Amino acid sequence: MTADMTADASYGAASDRTPQPSRSVRTAGRQHDVARFYVRRFVRNRLAVAGAVIFLLLVVFSATGDAFTSYAYSDTDFAALTQPPSAVHWFGTNQGGNDIYASAVHGLRRSLTIAVSVSVLTLAVAAVVGSSAAYFGGRAEKATLAVIHFLLVVPSFLILALVSNRLAGDWRVLIVVLTVFGWMSTARIIWSVSTSLRERDFVAAAEFMGVSPLRIVVRHIIPNLGSLLIVNLTLGVVTTVLSETALSFIGFGVQTPDVSLGTMLADGASTITSAPWLFAFPAGLVVLLTVSMALIGDGLRDALDPLSSTGAGGRR
Amino acid sequence: MPGGEVRLVVRHVTRKATGWLLMIVVATNVTYLLASFFLDPRSNFKDLRPVRSEAQIDRALAPYNLDPRVPLVDRWWDWLTSVVLHFDWGRSPTGVSVNGEIGYRSLVSAELVVLSLVFSVLAGVALGVYTASRQYGWSDRVSQAVSVVVFNVPTSVAALAVVFVAIWLNQHAGLHFLYVAGENAPGVQGLLPTVGDRLLHLILPTLTLTLMGYVGYHLTQRSLLLDTINADFVRTAQATGLTRSQAIRRHALRTALIPTATSVAFSVPAVFTGAIVTETIFGWSGMGSYFIQTISKNDVHGTVATAAFAAALTAIGAILADVATVFLDPRVRVS
Repeated sequence: MTADMTADASYGAASDRTPQPSRSVRTAGRQHDVARFYVRRFVRNRLAVAGAVIFLLLVVFSATGDAFTSYAYSDTDFAALTQPPSAVHWFGTNQGGNDIYASAVHGLRRSLTIAVSVSVLTLAVAAVVGSSAAYFGGRAEKATLAVIHFLLVVPSFLILALVSNRLAGDWRVLIVVLTVFGWMSTARIIWSVSTSLRERDFVAAAEFMGVSPLRIVVRHIIPNLGSLLIVNLTLGVVTTVLSETALSFIGFGVQTPDVSLGTMLADGASTITSAPWLFAFPAGLVVLLTVSMALIGDGLRDALDPLSSTGAGGRR
Repeated sequence: MPGGEVRLVVRHVTRKATGWLLMIVVATNVTYLLASFFLDPRSNFKDLRPVRSEAQIDRALAPYNLDPRVPLVDRWWDWLTSVVLHFDWGRSPTGVSVNGEIGYRSLVSAELVVLSLVFSVLAGVALGVYTASRQYGWSDRVSQAVSVVVFNVPTSVAALAVVFVAIWLNQHAGLHFLYVAGENAPGVQGLLPTVGDRLLHLILPTLTLTLMGYVGYHLTQRSLLLDTINADFVRTAQATGLTRSQAIRRHALRTALIPTATSVAFSVPAVFTGAIVTETIFGWSGMGSYFIQTISKNDVHGTVATAAFAAALTAIGAILADVATVFLDPRVRVS
């Protein structure tokens, strides 16, 4: 039992005993080793590293990009309407005279904020719902699965558009709405993995020690889903960017005067032959963002999965 | 299949179909309540001049069962009875019949969604089988790299890239059959020209949606087949004298197809979502563009009809998936 608990703790700090000094030092050291081991496996995957570098550059660009231009995304330059990229307007301007560079920085920041927050929130909801359903079992499990399946097949995008059109324009509301309709498929995956975790010895051990069911879910089951959760976090960012751009594209997501990558795509769509830069820059940023995130997710999956051959074998 | 089995299969499919019917009913009613709550038809009248009073607006909406003074339960009951008894889906705030709109549009959209779904499954599964039997070969690596990129591109970007390439082809290669706007050309007469014209207009939107859809099947089919390709029963099949590709096709693939068949049902909503964006870009008047139009014009009944259409598409996909599972999976037939 002790061996089980230590192994448990070394993966995700999932111990609910009061840590004794000597042991906590040992655990911390081992965690450090484990982290280094995963980093080494991740770095071996060149595509994943490329993805991580691209993603970091995008984050830096969205955070500091305004510093390099004197225009704000809402400024209008009536002397330069629909101008192609030039020294003054690096990415050109649109029909209203907005600087596309400034809009792209702002839109990327907006899309990133929405994507990361929604991904974290949906993951939290999915982890709690999925693992609780698996652990408690019985009628609660059946009911939860029925709800998940119903929401999965219902055209949730329609309801999403319906609700967000009325409430949105405001990106914070969009975060809430995307979370409410976005947690189901992850919850289903987490549920199916948790059903095997609930049979494991360390769960039985915790039960015999009188740990409360909720605590077992939060401290024993969820930490053991660690790698799955991390991978789904990155994939969640991709899914959210795709939904946000689709919603904003058809006019029900982020709305003017606010700007996201989706609204920029919608603006540029009608002038794809006459003013291609309006579309090309946001499209390039979206693709860089989603593809880099997907590469990171793939790399993390290979690095964290003990059975994966790609990380350990040094094939790449 | 012997007679007893046929009866079991029919019972299995009927039971599943009943479940899906129930799903459509619940989804449609939930959408009605949500739409009545979130859409406000009165705001359509706010910009009209001369300014209408509240009472005038309510009176204008009353004949279409949209009067906000009537309790929601009563409006819902009226709507439900007219749908069930007369298949009348109601009217928009300006009095246009929803039935008249969706009759043509649903055919156009169903054509697009079903065709691209079929092509996605065929292309994805074929690619999955081809690459799984050549794991880590160059074709496997290249197609996987392409799939990872395509999978993560928003539909709008993919559709416009397709439009861009098509326009370029039309201008430079002298092709003039790649239409980037509309679902048919005006003024085409006769049966054969009409069918041909529609098929030509279908090419690009279907291509876009197939691009968006095939990747999921490619990647999952590849990994599913890799799980079974080295199983003992495949080796046994080869030992009976089948070639490797025969053994894969008849034995490994048959097992590996079952999860794919069930996943088709869950992918229909995504295809429809893609169709909303695709129809907008290609200027189709289908259910996708109708959906955008109804929501922005606060058309409760139109929105609900779109939701019902999407739910029905999902159910049809799911029932077809169930039938396919019955043929693929003997465990369903005996239990």
